Amino acid sequence: MKPTIELLRDVLDHDVVDVDGVRCGIVDDIEFGEGADGVPVVAALLVGPGAWQARLPALLGVVSAWLFGHGTTRVPWSDVAELTQSVKLGRRAGELGLGKLDRKVASWLKRIPGA
Amino acid sequence: MGKFAEVFLGILTAMGGFVEIGELTFTLNAGRRFEHALLWIVLLGTVGIMVYCEMAGRIAAVKHQAVFSLIRERDGFSAGLLTLVAANIVNLLTCAAEVGGVALLWQLLSGWPYRGLLLAALVFFVIVVWSTPFKWIERIFGLGGLLMIVFIVAAVALHPDWGSVAAGFVPSLPRAAGGRDILMYAFYGVALLSSIMLPYETYFYASGGIEDRWKPADVTLNRIVVIVGFSLGATLAASLVVVGAEFFAPRSIDPALPGSAALATADAFANVGLYVALLGMFFAFAGAAIETALSAAYNLAQFAGWPWGLDKRPRDASRFALSWIAVFVLATAVVVTGIDPVSVVEYSIVFSVVVLPLSYFPVLAVARDRGIMGPYANGALANVLGWFYLALITVAALAAIPLFVATHAGQG
Repeated sequence: MKPTIELLRDVLDHDVVDVDGVRCGIVDDIEFGEGADGVPVVAALLVGPGAWQARLPALLGVVSAWLFGHGTTRVPWSDVAELTQSVKLGRRAGELGLGKLDRKVASWLKRIPGA
Repeated sequence: MGKFAEVFLGILTAMGGFVEIGELTFTLNAGRRFEHALLWIVLLGTVGIMVYCEMAGRIAAVKHQAVFSLIRERDGFSAGLLTLVAANIVNLLTCAAEVGGVALLWQLLSGWPYRGLLLAALVFFVIVVWSTPFKWIERIFGLGGLLMIVFIVAAVALHPDWGSVAAGFVPSLPRAAGGRDILMYAFYGVALLSSIMLPYETYFYASGGIEDRWKPADVTLNRIVVIVGFSLGATLAASLVVVGAEFFAPRSIDPALPGSAALATADAFANVGLYVALLGMFFAFAGAAIETALSAAYNLAQFAGWPWGLDKRPRDASRFALSWIAVFVLATAVVVTGIDPVSVVEYSIVFSVVVLPLSYFPVLAVARDRGIMGPYANGALANVLGWFYLALITVAALAAIPLFVATHAGQG
């Protein structure tokens, strides 16, 4: 891991990949908490429509909330194993509540031969 | 497969996949209206698409990152989302035009009703993409598209004035030009440039490199395929301009439909010429329909961080699979309304040039960054060409819509 992390450049909007190498979202926002000396520290990565809607112009945010809902998954920073071109997690997507919709769509597609 | 065979096949598929319905329409029309005077745009556009595909392919080989994940990282969320929406509207319209083109070709051969054939085309595409590995899709449609070489042979058989053809590669204004002619010339110039530099080609090319599991050692393969394959593809595009000038201009035929485009080869080589051209167009349009549908799904999946790729089973990249199926369904719905595929092409070509600067800037930003690319970062030539083409497509993007309105979509 790099000694210095530029959050905007190296973390925000990068792919999130789980321990099995499955893509399970993008870092849509970053949550800060307060460290021991009152210094801000990164607490979690936020993934999902609720996290990226806040970054849209107001009206678009309202429309997309109506279309996609507010769902946000919080991934504690302690679960980040490595930062490369993507953010690699130390656990499986399912354990962290990521990639739910992918699994749901997969359960429909499984009925088709060849899926 | 040996390295040599891989390079050879890569070159051939790049050549066979170079031309699609939009490029066919605009190259033939550019030749019909301005003879050889717009050939230099073919050259200019080809070098441009080479520069950006080479960079995107190199990033794919070295960093395994595709264009839309770069766009999201570098343009930011809002500008990235705008690019995604615009790029996918263009992908959808281009896909609609290609699906319509395929149905028109089938109609020519069978005489069956067009709308029924559109639905047949939809089923055909979904089954092919669902059941065929990526490499085979690339090969079947890329190599089948090589039948379009019949247009190169037809261009030579038409005995053009080679001096005038050569002069066409030097930028110039049309002879006896009035203000109106210059506007028309500018419109066709921008449209031709756009049809050669269609943004989906770069998205698809880079995603394809990742599907084919390129490694840093493949940057040379990438460079050779882009330079040689696209040069051969450009020879085909240039020969279509020549066919437009030598065959369609003197007969005042508007090559608006695939059937009329095949008249040139039918005239030169009778039935064989006709069928080879129609078959070549089928592979070219069908290949582009698949590439645009996949490209839309790649873009969406890369932007949103979903698993993607045809190397995965559909259940392991489920939203990606659903996306490309949805694009085929929507594209068919667009042309089933009865809208002429060629007018859909005209819109998609003009709007795609507007998407180009937003798509290409992040590619250049990453490809030139030594911190990210290390020894594989751009050299001086790639940087100079990259900036030059970024400036050029920005000017073209600003001019495209005003020219589209002022010339009534090139109708004068």
